[in-house]
Amino acid sequence: MALSRAVLLVLFVVVGHAGLASGQSLTAEADVTAGHSTDDISSLATQLRAFGDLKAGVRFYLESAWARRSDKESDAFAAAYPYGGHFDVIETYGERLFTPGRGLVGIRAGRYRTPFGIAGRSDHAYAGFLRPPLIRYDDYFALSNTFLEHGADVIAGLPQLYVEASLGAPADVGDAKRRHGLDSVVRLQAYHGPLIVGLSRIWTQPTQPESFARGRAEFTGLDVRWMHDGVLVRGEWITGQPFDGTTTDGWYADLMLHRAAMGPVTAVMRVEQLNYNIASEYALHARRVTVGAKVRLPRGLTAQVNLLRQSGNLPVSRAIPVDLALTYSFRLH
Amino acid sequence: MRALMVAVGGILLLTTATRGLAAFDLVGTTRVGARVEPNAVVWLEAAAAPGRETRKVVLDQRNLTFSPHVLAVRAGATVEFPNRDRVFHNVFSFHDGKRFDLGMYPVGASRDVTFGTPGVSRIFCNIHPNMAAYVIAVDSGYFAASDASGRFQIAAVPAGTYVYHAWHPGGATLTGSATVDGETPLNVRWP
Repeated sequence: MALSRAVLLVLFVVVGHAGLASGQSLTAEADVTAGHSTDDISSLATQLRAFGDLKAGVRFYLESAWARRSDKESDAFAAAYPYGGHFDVIETYGERLFTPGRGLVGIRAGRYRTPFGIAGRSDHAYAGFLRPPLIRYDDYFALSNTFLEHGADVIAGLPQLYVEASLGAPADVGDAKRRHGLDSVVRLQAYHGPLIVGLSRIWTQPTQPESFARGRAEFTGLDVRWMHDGVLVRGEWITGQPFDGTTTDGWYADLMLHRAAMGPVTAVMRVEQLNYNIASEYALHARRVTVGAKVRLPRGLTAQVNLLRQSGNLPVSRAIPVDLALTYSFRLH
Repeated sequence: MRALMVAVGGILLLTTATRGLAAFDLVGTTRVGARVEPNAVVWLEAAAAPGRETRKVVLDQRNLTFSPHVLAVRAGATVEFPNRDRVFHNVFSFHDGKRFDLGMYPVGASRDVTFGTPGVSRIFCNIHPNMAAYVIAVDSGYFAASDASGRFQIAAVPAGTYVYHAWHPGGATLTGSATVDGETPLNVRWP
């Protein structure tokens, strides 16, 4: 908590003085989002970020978020941030990149999103989908987009093929917090032309209490991105165990269409499935289809709309909810 | 006597030729009203201009920002768009000027775009809404973008009088006359 307060203080000072510090390669930006879902949920969220260069090629990144929903049961609007109604420090790290010859080496230390699969803030937040994939939500016995690491992360290789390794301890925000202990992530990423493929493996702690969940959580995942002429196809498949005696597997596939003729509109579609396999009434099997759009409006505004059709035993009130959100983004230099 | 006349004539010819070939840096400022305007681009109409753009032209993606914010190039130049962030970027331009979509690419990777015809291209990242930049391709070998203090310098312009054009983000293109004599600055001001 002391760390969170300190980081928040630094962030507010940095944001407040961003204009004065522009010569030091400092940028501050904020997003404010209001949303409503026919799941009878309204939400308000804000994120503050500051990033830039320090001396000797070291970069820093600070992000804090506050968000609140009128109801916690649904996963609406929780694409990448927690909705606990209080400020959370999200990412806070320093990093440095080296490019020896054609090679690539990067070192990051601090607090950062768990580098498993498609895990970046900008991959999920306000990208057109207002909910996280089922295999990436707090309470669904898989991974969570609000998992964070306290530790160090290294990438090494070539831009075309590199390995990433993270060693640290869980530092999650949101409802599902992993238990204390060491955890590690290894990821291999390769790209050729428009195709980007990643293979990830995580050894970590369960989110459930020890009295209920023994052993460790372990997942393996395959992620793919392919893009051509304004058509992006991406997806992830994961399998593993949230704790001993159980398994979770699932996948999602996204289609994101942003052709020149579409102007400011990006059309999106997601198909996904989740299976939490346990020999009891607690098993969770769900399918969901999402169609929607993201529209870049003038003056930093972005509108998003999602129509979902879902089945299975998800804790939601409607089979066909509609989510709407309006985001205002601005940047201070 | 004849030798003297030849020598004087030669000196006169040389002086005239040298004056015709004399080149100076054209310096000046760009302002909107009283405010200094960084990121403005000024270029001269000139039939005889240096050869093709051969230098490496780069529009960086670093710290979730395009750098520079305004890039001026000669029409026909190829611009590199390297990704120096550990997140993916997706550079695109769907509005005026050159239209393209480079797709997503990771840290360390780069993509090239040739800006073949003059015009202003508005550059965005489809993943990060706060990233925006301009590439302005001009049909001239004599051009420059103004710096943070609104100053610009067009190097090695043959002496003479030129028609200039000036542009800045969100503003109209101004046209006027510029004298290049090594002494007269070009101060561009939008109302």
